[in-house]
Amino acid sequence: MPVRATRSSEPLRKALVEWAERLGLFIAWALTIAIFGLIAPEAFFTWANFSTILGSQAVLVVLTLGLLVPLTAGDYDLSMASVLTLSSMIIAVLNVNHQIPIGIAVGVAIAVGVLTGFLNGFFILYFRIHSLIVTLGIGTFLHGITLWISDSMTISGISAALVNAVIVWRFLGVPLEFYYAMAVCVALWYVFSYTAMGRRVLFVGRGREVARLSGIHVDRVRWGALITSGFLSSLAGVLYAGTTGAADPSSGLTYLLPAFAAAFLGSTSIEPGRFNPWGATVAVYFLVTGITGLSILGVRTFVQDLFYGGALVVAVALSQIVRGREERPQ
Amino acid sequence: MKVFRILAFGLIYAAVGGNAHAQSPAVATAEQRLAPYRKLPEFVAAGPAFDARHCMEGKSILGIPVSSANPFTKNIYIAMAAVAKKVGFKFTEWENQGQPSQWVQGMNYAINNKYNLIDLLGGTDPKVLAPQVKAATSVGIKVIASHYSGFEQPAPPGVSGVVPIDYFRAGQLLADWAIAKTGGKANALVIVSMEVNSTASMLNGIKEEFGKLCPDTCKYKVINAPVPEWSTKIQPNVQSALLADPSINYIIPIYDSMSQFVVPAVTITGKQDKVKIATFNGTPFVLGMVQQGKVEMDIGENLDWIGHAIADAEMRILCGLPEVKDPKIPFYIFDQTNADAAGHPPQLSTGYGNAYIEGYRKLWQLAN
Repeated sequence: MPVRATRSSEPLRKALVEWAERLGLFIAWALTIAIFGLIAPEAFFTWANFSTILGSQAVLVVLTLGLLVPLTAGDYDLSMASVLTLSSMIIAVLNVNHQIPIGIAVGVAIAVGVLTGFLNGFFILYFRIHSLIVTLGIGTFLHGITLWISDSMTISGISAALVNAVIVWRFLGVPLEFYYAMAVCVALWYVFSYTAMGRRVLFVGRGREVARLSGIHVDRVRWGALITSGFLSSLAGVLYAGTTGAADPSSGLTYLLPAFAAAFLGSTSIEPGRFNPWGATVAVYFLVTGITGLSILGVRTFVQDLFYGGALVVAVALSQIVRGREERPQ
Repeated sequence: MKVFRILAFGLIYAAVGGNAHAQSPAVATAEQRLAPYRKLPEFVAAGPAFDARHCMEGKSILGIPVSSANPFTKNIYIAMAAVAKKVGFKFTEWENQGQPSQWVQGMNYAINNKYNLIDLLGGTDPKVLAPQVKAATSVGIKVIASHYSGFEQPAPPGVSGVVPIDYFRAGQLLADWAIAKTGGKANALVIVSMEVNSTASMLNGIKEEFGKLCPDTCKYKVINAPVPEWSTKIQPNVQSALLADPSINYIIPIYDSMSQFVVPAVTITGKQDKVKIATFNGTPFVLGMVQQGKVEMDIGENLDWIGHAIADAEMRILCGLPEVKDPKIPFYIFDQTNADAAGHPPQLSTGYGNAYIEGYRKLWQLAN
């Protein structure tokens, strides 16, 4: 049998590859910052720029984190952006048109999100319909309700208390919405990594039948995952209403695909092969940093779409190559 | 001697100090151009009076709005429906969700049900309906693209006519506002949607005004954000532009609904006191933002008035009268001094005065 000369360096090589994969997105993010910082240092390398990047994406981060929960459990939730839009519209209609205090309006909006998650779970689990179909249908239905209660109009004038709490008040120069998103990220990371409940969600996502045979209440776990995504979608809607101080019936819907993109891109890093909150958060900020850099350079807006889509496909492909090399027999 | 010195001093002061307080010609011209639009609009007839009830008897108009979820077009059609009821002709709105395939269905419906005129409002694009427009005009149905193009823009091929809006003038007024408020030193960020037909007309108006009044002291940068991407493109791009060029003092979103995404960008970058927003359309929620001081100025169009004006232009076509080149739809500038007139919360078509209602009644020779 031939002796392998590099036998002692194999574990080192494997460890290096593993760490490169884990930190890949961080490295890409750092490279992006370095490149744009070199080209336009006066505009890019400023705390004003970074605090703006960090402070303006909380809505997408929270929505993406919410999406991770059903994705981990093996379900798709296509209603999330509709829940976001409906929640922000409920706040606007109650607070602006009916003068209801902002705290109660926010409470009603969150309740609607939780109820939507409950309904999604009911139709998926009781009638055994694929989550793609149910959430798509319920999402479209909710959009109709949003158009109805708003009379297809944009409503502005939401209480300054909410706007202050989201984008005006700052800590260390960064608007508070960033810290809310970080709190959700930390909470999700803790639940997935250190609690039995989080582990159960993972098992259900990895193999439903095996999980069921192991004694896990699969339906209960999936239902809980959908209620969680409904709750987090409505929380994203609260932040969205606080960002613009207004609500309109359609613009929130455009957040759905970016949330999926960030969730899948995030699964290539930190905990590769698994949807994970830190990876998803870094993915959102990496993509936004790239787009901010491009627009600071005055590049035309269509290039941003090229970057966004290209980065997603390239990153996932690279991740597959790395994984493929790991799995090929030596 | 002393008197002489005082007189000389006075003359020198008048020559130097007086001029220092005088306006630059650019600012004076800009304010002159804005002045007529700061007064409540007067009704101006687009053509001679005619007996609308008599000549419109038995006639029908089908309206296809760019989208029934768009409050702008929806409310114009509410006005047109009311006019139809008053005058005594049939008006139907083809409800749709902005899909060209639905517009096609509307065109076919009009042809099958023998409508006399099809109105394509606010962006229902004749260019993607070319076969249907041809089919309609070939059987004698008039196809009119309304609130779609500027006075100087060519009519889309195939249509029987247009009801244009003075988009070029609106663009000029936006530039005039920035020039007047910055003393001729505007550094503006202009946000457009190039795929919308009227954008070219408005942008030309803005460019010409800056070019003519302050070519050396004003500058502007254009950001393009397609309509479906307003919510994802406008805020980040405005943020970046403000950070890249801290001397920007005006943002001009040419359609005021864009402001929803501009205001947070200004807030997050902390530039609320430095950067002002001037825009166009008069959408109620933006007038609310003017009331709250988040937007400085909004050039308003009274949607009820627009509905009357479009109905007037189209009735003339159906009555065999000369085509209207200028529907005389007025603009009215709202800022914090008069935004309250639009209501709390602001309502559509409120704050412009009611001169047009009586004006149109007389123009159409209606008894009541």
